[in-house]
This record gives sequence, structure tokens and C-alpha cells, in this order.
Amino acid sequence: MGSFLLAWREARRAKGRFGLLTGAVTVLVFLVVFQQAVLDGLVTEFVGAIRNQSADVLVYGEDARLNLQGSVVPPVAPEQVAAVEGVARAEPLGVAAVTVEAGGELEDATLFGHVLDGPGAPVEIEEGRRPERDGEAVASASAADDGFGVGDVVVVQPGGERIEIVGTARETSFSVTPTLFASYATYEAVLLSVNPDAPAVVPSAGAVEVEDGADPSAVAERITAEVEGVEAATRDRAADEAPGVQSVSQSLSIVLLLTYVVVTIVTGFFFLILTVQKQPTLTLLRAVGAPARSLVAALGMQVLLVVGGGFVLGAALAALVLRVASVGIEAGVAPAALVTTAAAVLLLAALACLGAARRITRLDPAWATLPGATPR
Amino acid sequence: MPALVMEGVRKVYRSGSEEVVALDHADLVVGDDEMVTLLGPSGSGKTTLLSIAGGLLTPTEGRVVVGDQVVSDLDPRQLTAFRQRQVGFVFQSVNLVPFLTARENLTVVGELAGRPRRETGEQADRLLEELGLSHRAGNLATELSGGERQRVAIGRALMNDPKLVLVDEPTSALDTKMGEAVMELLRNEITGRGIAAVVVTHDTRMTHYTDRTVEIVDGRLQA
Repeated sequence: MGSFLLAWREARRAKGRFGLLTGAVTVLVFLVVFQQAVLDGLVTEFVGAIRNQSADVLVYGEDARLNLQGSVVPPVAPEQVAAVEGVARAEPLGVAAVTVEAGGELEDATLFGHVLDGPGAPVEIEEGRRPERDGEAVASASAADDGFGVGDVVVVQPGGERIEIVGTARETSFSVTPTLFASYATYEAVLLSVNPDAPAVVPSAGAVEVEDGADPSAVAERITAEVEGVEAATRDRAADEAPGVQSVSQSLSIVLLLTYVVVTIVTGFFFLILTVQKQPTLTLLRAVGAPARSLVAALGMQVLLVVGGGFVLGAALAALVLRVASVGIEAGVAPAALVTTAAAVLLLAALACLGAARRITRLDPAWATLPGATPR
Repeated sequence: MPALVMEGVRKVYRSGSEEVVALDHADLVVGDDEMVTLLGPSGSGKTTLLSIAGGLLTPTEGRVVVGDQVVSDLDPRQLTAFRQRQVGFVFQSVNLVPFLTARENLTVVGELAGRPRRETGEQADRLLEELGLSHRAGNLATELSGGERQRVAIGRALMNDPKLVLVDEPTSALDTKMGEAVMELLRNEITGRGIAAVVVTHDTRMTHYTDRTVEIVDGRLQA
């Protein structure tokens, strides 16, 4: 309590100094949270459809390098995959980039064809229902206002295949385009309408549901090892290692890392300078019997106050900006990411202030008897 | 029981291969309600003696006892507790916490030590009343005059009901009139409580405020 009072009284009476640091932390946290949200939004735009579909494991052609649109698996592959230990069900999955007329405009979209009651369907439906027959689809909710809303009909160009939107699902974009999750037969019909001369339509991948209690990564490894010509990946790996995702993540992660470094340096230097400036006062307190741990605790309270306050303000500002300003993608502040960021910022600030804490513990109370209370 | 007993206390500072003797076999006994002036020129060792008596420095040799506590045997953590509970200090230079009010300067150490806020607050109010500073209780240290700061510092030294108060050059930053007023106040507060005090000064004009004067020259107490 005494440490808190000391910390609070100083901060309250040095509003300018502490306000400036809180402002700086606010700006830095705003940048961290905003960039994190944009990064998550971008990744979701690339691979949201993979993350939010129901297959535990995806099976690619061995040369596809986890690129769904570049993947082709032999028609017999799903049957062979189904025989692998730990696989409950394996079905074909078709993925194709298509152009559709939606809301009177031509739009790019990605068509996912899956067995209707099988793996590969969207996990959650935001509005409407799941497809029950061929020619129906669930579309990305983010494109609902662009002609992909429930009740809309999109027409595949060329070919003229009509698909009715019967439901929408959140965060299911793919390669920065809206998706259409339809039956595998619809997928085949669309591809044949676009390219009538194609001798056959082959699956792009296999969608696998693992048995209850089975480890998806172990099952994926077994599939890769036992089925010729394929590479299997868990849903998370398929999303994280999809083409484009890694490079986007790495680039923005470097910017994020630099911002974290700046938070650490700014906070650390501020409290170190403050401690050096306060050295005579701290020495006086030590001389009259204040334990060093109480003074370190007061420092910790101030770090918590400044960084915590800056974090709350910065996060609120980022949430507000993401809500009112259009950033071109579906980006929002995820609570889990916020908690992680808060923990990281507080931890880094605490580490940065170790220098100041060390200085406090090394104060010699005898310096209080010297003019100006400066070290010998 | 004497408030302070120093027996054969020696303090040596090492500077490279050189040894500087700051205090040389000092023997001093201060009675439990006695006020003693330690008089000496700059560099004579009087602040070193004061620091050793108050547990700010440990002696190289010798024995120091305050009340029934053998101070020279204590480790740094025990010395912190000793300073917190058994001695009061009035320092020469930096004497108050600038971002705290006069009242908070009195309560801060008790609060940091975990004493109940109500208890420390009531004691601070009583002391400020005695010192004629009630009307300045809410003023920051930086808003007080030199004399008021010294009075607040005296109040803080008395907050823990010490057996011994150690005062380092209390008048050095004050004019003669203000210095005499502070010494008068110090004497009244000390003698009124029946506690002991050692007042370090180089100003011979202030010695008559205490019960006796001990001179120190080159680290040696003069008989």
C-alpha cells in the first residue's frame, strides 16, 4: 500500500512527465494493435476459408507445395487416404478460381466443392443455412453486400452456371476473394461449363476427418508416408504455410517486432532517467529506513500505471479506428490477441525497467549525508 | 541505559593502496535524555561518526550500541529496519521528498514500512501541530521555506518515536536568526520527549543549545 501511495502521489504531481510517457505508450500500443489486426485480417483474407472449414487434414498433390489452387490429387486418392489409420472419413475437395456475375458486376471468387455432409464445409454459418442440394452455396459474409448475400444468385462466367446463395460464413475468404462453398457436383458442373472440352474433373485435394482422439498431425504424417503422390497437412499448417501467407506474416511481423523494441526502449529509458534524477530522494528514503524492495515496488507500480494506462488507451484507439475507418479488409481487434499483446508489452516494459530497479537496490543510504546526496 | 555507546570505533576508507582514517578509535557515550553537540571543522570525521551511530555506515572496528541494540553487528537489511524504527535523522542537504506534501513527508516511511495509515496520519498531524506547521500540512516540500523544511525534517525524525535523533548541520543552509529558531525548536522537541540527540555542527554559536559539546579533529574525539 505504501509503495502504491508513493508511486501514485509522484505520478499525480508530475502529470506532464508521466502523461507524455503514457501518450507515447498509447501511440506505440495503437500501432502494435492496429498492425496486428491488419496482419490477422490479411491472413484471413488469404486463408480464412482453410482455417474455418471442417476438415482436420487436407491432402494435396505432392508437387503443390500446399497451394490448393495448384493442387491435383488422383481420383483414387480419397479412397486410399480413407484406409490410413486414424482417418474417419476422406472426401474429394475441389478448389477453383472463378469469375461470377454478382450484384450486376463481374467479381472474382473461389469455389470450394465438397461432399455436402462431409469434411471441407464451413464450420459456422452466420446467416441462412447450409447447401442441401446442387446449385446452392454458402458465401463469405464479408462479400454479402457485393451480391453474395443470402437469396442472391451468382452466375459463373463464362458457362452460365447459376448458384444460389443460401447462407453466409464469417472469415472464409481465400486468396483475397470471396468464396462459395457448394457441393462437389456443383464444382464439377461449374468447371465443365467453363471448359466443356475437359475430359474429366479431378479433385484438387482430399478433405479428411480424423477419428475421435486421433492426433491430426500424426494422421497427416501417416497419409504422406503411406499414400503415393500426396502431401497431407493439418488445417493449421495448411493455413500457416499457404503461399503468400508466410511472406505477408514475416514482413508485418518485422514491423511489429520493431514497434515492440521501441516500446521497450522508450519505457526503459524513461524510468532509468527518472530514477537517476530522483536518486537524492530515493537515497533519503533509504537512509530513513525505507526498504529497497518497497522503492522497487513503487517503480513497478508506476510502470504498471503508465504502461497499463497507455495500453488501454492505445487498444481502445485502435479498436475505434478499425471500426470507423475502412482498411479494405475484414480487420478487428481479437480479444485473445489483445491479451497476448498486453502481456508482451507489460513483460517487455518490466524487463526494460530492470536497470532502474537495479539502480535503486544499489543505492547506498550513506550518500544521504553528502551534499546533494550524490554517489561518491 | 545510555542512548548511544561507541567503543573504540574506527572507520577506514581505502583509496587504491592508500588508507584514509576517517574516525580513529572513537569512544562516546550519550545519555538517554542527553543532547550532545559534535563540533569540528569540515573533514574532521563528524558526519562519519553520525553515520555509523545511525547505521548508515558500518565501522571498520569497534562496537556501537543504540539503546539495547548492538548496531555494529547488523547486516544491511537489519540496519534498514533499525533506521526505520530506532533512530531519527535530520540531514544537512536533501531533507524532504519534493513531490510529497509536508504531511506525506512525515507519513511516507511508516507507510512504506507497512504501519497503519490512520496511526501514521494521526501522529503526523500531532507533530505538525507541535511544530506550528498544521497550516502547511498540504503544501509540497518545494513550496516550503528553508526553515519550514527543517521543521518538517525534525518532525519526520520524530515519527518513529526514536531513542536517538541524529542531526547533521541543521543550520548550515539557514541565516543566523532562522538557525537559532530551528535549534531552539530542536531542543524543545528533544528534551520534551526525554530522548537523546547528537547534533553535528561546525558553528560554535549553536553549541549552547545542547547539554554538552564534544570536539572532533582529524577523526579523533577530544577529551
